[in-house]
Amino acid sequence: MDLNLENVAIRLDGMPLIAPFSLDVPAGAIVTLMGPSGSGKSSLLAYIAGDLEPPLEGQGRILLDGAPIDDVAPESRHIGRLFQDDLLFPHLTVGENLMFGLARGPRGEREALMRAALGLAELEGFENRPPHTLSGGQRSRIALFRALLARPAAMLLDEPFAKLDAELKRSMRAYVYAHLKERNIPTLLVTHDREDAPAGGLVLRIGRNGEVKHD
Amino acid sequence: MKRTGLAPLAVLWALPLAASLVAAFSGPAAWPALWQHPQLWPGLALSLWTGTAGLILSLAAALVIVAAVHGTAPWRRLASVSGAFLALPHLAFAIGLGFLIMPAGLVARLIAGGSAPPQWIAAQDPYGISLIACLVLKETPFLIWTMWALLARGDVATALAGQWRSARSLGHGSLSVWLRVWMPQILPRLAEPLAIVWVYGAGVVDMALVIGPTQPPPLAVIAFADLNHADQAINGRGLAGALFLTLVLAAIACLALLAIRLLRPLSRAFLTRGPSPMTLPRAPGMALLAAMALVYAAVLTVLVIMSVAGHWPYPQLLPEHFKPEAWQQLIAAPAPALASLLLAFATTASALGLAILWIETAGESLDRFVGFAAIAALGLPALLIAGGQYRLFLAFGLTGTAAGLYLAHLTFVFAYVFIVLKGPYRAFDPRFRSVALGLDTTRARFWLRIKAPLLKPALLAAGAVGFAVSMAQYVPAQLIAAGRYSTLPMEAVTLASGGNRALTAVFALALALPPGLAFLAAAWFGRPRWGHSWT
Amino acid sequence: MFMALAPLRALAAGWAAIEAEARGQTVYFNAWAGSDTINAYIAWAGSELQSRYGATLNHVKIADTAEVVRRVRDEVAAGKKDGSADLVWINGENFRAMKADRLLFGPFAEALPNFKFVDVEEKPTTRVDFAEPVEGLESPWGMAQLTFFGDGKMFSAYPPQSVGQILQFAGKNPGRVTYPAPPDFHGTTFVKQVLIETIADTAVLARPVTREAFIAAAKPAWAYLDQLHPHLWRGGKQFPRSQAQMKQMFADGELLMAFTFNPNEPANLVASGELPATTVAWQHRNGTIGNTHFVAIPINARARAAAQVAANFLLSPEAQARKADLKVWGDPTVLALAKLDAADQKLFAAASAPGSVAHPAPALPEPHASWVPLIEAAWLERYGA
Repeated sequence: MDLNLENVAIRLDGMPLIAPFSLDVPAGAIVTLMGPSGSGKSSLLAYIAGDLEPPLEGQGRILLDGAPIDDVAPESRHIGRLFQDDLLFPHLTVGENLMFGLARGPRGEREALMRAALGLAELEGFENRPPHTLSGGQRSRIALFRALLARPAAMLLDEPFAKLDAELKRSMRAYVYAHLKERNIPTLLVTHDREDAPAGGLVLRIGRNGEVKHD
Repeated sequence: MKRTGLAPLAVLWALPLAASLVAAFSGPAAWPALWQHPQLWPGLALSLWTGTAGLILSLAAALVIVAAVHGTAPWRRLASVSGAFLALPHLAFAIGLGFLIMPAGLVARLIAGGSAPPQWIAAQDPYGISLIACLVLKETPFLIWTMWALLARGDVATALAGQWRSARSLGHGSLSVWLRVWMPQILPRLAEPLAIVWVYGAGVVDMALVIGPTQPPPLAVIAFADLNHADQAINGRGLAGALFLTLVLAAIACLALLAIRLLRPLSRAFLTRGPSPMTLPRAPGMALLAAMALVYAAVLTVLVIMSVAGHWPYPQLLPEHFKPEAWQQLIAAPAPALASLLLAFATTASALGLAILWIETAGESLDRFVGFAAIAALGLPALLIAGGQYRLFLAFGLTGTAAGLYLAHLTFVFAYVFIVLKGPYRAFDPRFRSVALGLDTTRARFWLRIKAPLLKPALLAAGAVGFAVSMAQYVPAQLIAAGRYSTLPMEAVTLASGGNRALTAVFALALALPPGLAFLAAAWFGRPRWGHSWT
Repeated sequence: MFMALAPLRALAAGWAAIEAEARGQTVYFNAWAGSDTINAYIAWAGSELQSRYGATLNHVKIADTAEVVRRVRDEVAAGKKDGSADLVWINGENFRAMKADRLLFGPFAEALPNFKFVDVEEKPTTRVDFAEPVEGLESPWGMAQLTFFGDGKMFSAYPPQSVGQILQFAGKNPGRVTYPAPPDFHGTTFVKQVLIETIADTAVLARPVTREAFIAAAKPAWAYLDQLHPHLWRGGKQFPRSQAQMKQMFADGELLMAFTFNPNEPANLVASGELPATTVAWQHRNGTIGNTHFVAIPINARARAAAQVAANFLLSPEAQARKADLKVWGDPTVLALAKLDAADQKLFAAASAPGSVAHPAPALPEPHASWVPLIEAAWLERYGA
């Protein structure tokens, strides 16, 4: 299971934002893409996820496990995402949020999976709580497990730690990366914070002219 | 600070309304006479049928249209379009639609032909289908407008756009996101507008008189005729009829709330069943919107032709001759139009001020009392409330005064403004506030710099609705003015009572123009400027 | 001698005082305003009143006179002495309600100087309004009589001359005839006309009625309507809401005939271009229901003096003649031409116009007011649901 980008580029109103580049994210690897805000890194993730909107446009091929997914609808790409905001659904409870992306099946099984995830998130007994009663760190953990329960073939992280305070940031990073690696999910992380990059991982940087280079 | 929002609202709106209601309901209700009325039960059934069918169909239509248009280029123009639809007064729309579909109407002239009109059962059909069509066509734009006021707001748009992306990455198709993420969040914010649409549909009189069934008519029409009667005993039967309709509606509303509560496990199961790749079909919504626009354009065209039409018998597609007299009559006496405009500006500004002051200073938990009062003000027969208001104002020497006229308009304008504004305003993300206050901003500066710009679409939408409501007030204005003042609707209704179609059309158009401009202005100045990616 | 003359002189002196008091007063005349021609006539009367008597006439436009009845009743109940209405255009039920609730000023009508011209002999409805004695509480203004109209092209021979002939006509033209549903005033009048034409002895109609008497008397009328309804518009299951709607349906071509209470309305509508020039108007050969409409002064009117002066002016031969003119309004006069001098009589020289009634028929009195609620309730019971 790996994520391949072939000659992928992003344009804004026809002007190149990110120059064509290719990238292989192997299973279990977390590749970091750095760049200042406005450099097009979030747009790149949107392109991979399939919901880039005009005036932005992307080009190049995206392959999951060798199969091109360019023509696949966003909901069928099996690409999970985490954002700056946890984006928990306010009208659903914590448990319902977790089950939101969980594949259909017998109710009992799905609830067991949800409880197991709550356990991993160290939030046992929280399933009936509305999301707004949770702390920032708790919400981030639910957002992570909500994405993981959907069994993504790849993950895209868009500055998921930017809004957390310094201490929480450190512990969340370790926590998220450990769970992603454990599940062997190829992950692309975009950030402007060098410290977000996992130790030993590949780090790329978007240059001034839009070229993507090794850091 | 807490009390500042309460005092003006209480003095200018709540107390007069409450006293009017007490005065209205303390009249002698003639219950036995009501039970003996042979049209009571069929009339009640018709009222409930038209109100409920009108609500369900207009909500469905509004959702289908908003879902189809949202996130596409026409979304930015949807507010202007629905605003233009909204501006046409209900009565004017019913008259125009009636002339389209009735046996001697334009549609029959186009497709049936012949020397005499076909004997169609269209317009005033006994099942209330034409009335329901009329209600749906008028209420759908209102619901679209209130949804737009919510969805176009910067903070809501941002949150929903994020949830949209997130939900789709979790495997949900666009339709599934609409049904499972957006609708459950939008609908509760629309509770009051939906209640209004329902109560309005069940209690409508003016449109029902033009296009509704006649034998039996809906209960509201029966009660209206009785309340209007010169005989006090018959007024009593009308009061009982109005009360009975109100009680039945309240009982059904309670049952509906109970049913929603009981069905909650089912709806929760639906929400969390898991991903589904259902994609939103946009074509039906777009087609519906286009069809609606077509009907409105046809209605407007018919009204314009009618306003200058001389004798126009079947099967001619155009009148035998044209005459400008009706327009001349409007232009010859501009005082009522000016009075209406002045009142509309004054009451809309006051209502917005009162609503903002209330929401800013009173806790959200108190909203339901104001909301309930507003629904009562809008849902009960206007004749009933206006009658109570009239007796109240009479006691305070306010009849025949400008102040009385202002207060009478404000009662209904504030109710609508509050209902349109409350949902979007209360949904304002308090985090903006904490962030901004963290930045050392005063309350007033925060409101002007951050909150007002973000809430602009909602404020403008509520203002436009209030303006239109003020322009359309007839019954209370007629009573309170006591012949000392005249407004555009008063002029329109009295002149139209003779059945002169040209005059009716002229005043319908004249009544539509100022609100039309208000809605277009609101849509233009409140248009979304945030570039989000949606799909 | 002295004794006998005193009341007359007092009357004359009294009227002069009233005219003097009226100067500078403003009369709020609450009058139905659904017709431009009527509104224009009232505007003319206002300008005349101003120039002749120095009183201002302000037309308060009303859609339904019951509104004024309720307003005055509420004002009186609230103890408001300076009422909002000084003069009301009224008759029938509304008058009865105001009279019964003692909401009217007067008697004043028969003391008006111009009342002496009123044709109380030939037009008894100037003193008995829907079988309710007027007793000087309202001043007659104009005459009304049930009048049918249709497009002359559609009648091969003569238009229907009785309700029986209406039945035949409707049978030959199914779905093209109807009447407004009672309790609409015009609809009730049509049913009353049926009652008059089908009842064995019309004398009972002039008397108060009991429920039992009504059931017996109305039997033939219901039998007639049962026969008529299947031939009516929409099979007699739905009815137009008002006379205005019926008139419009006729103008559109959906109906072949309609009716009105103003004998000159068809001619008027022809003149204003709303009806074709081939329109004809007629009354049933044996007569149709006729009545009178009036102006009354509410008990709490502020400008009572000016209101009386206005009522008197509206009764003047000049104002009545202008009102009767088809080009102005076409409302038949309440005056007896024989009581006028030659010059005033000339003012009434009637010119026939397209759409005016060719052969006027006698006006039949309204049934006693007690019949109306029973007719309306029974109709609703039989045909309302």
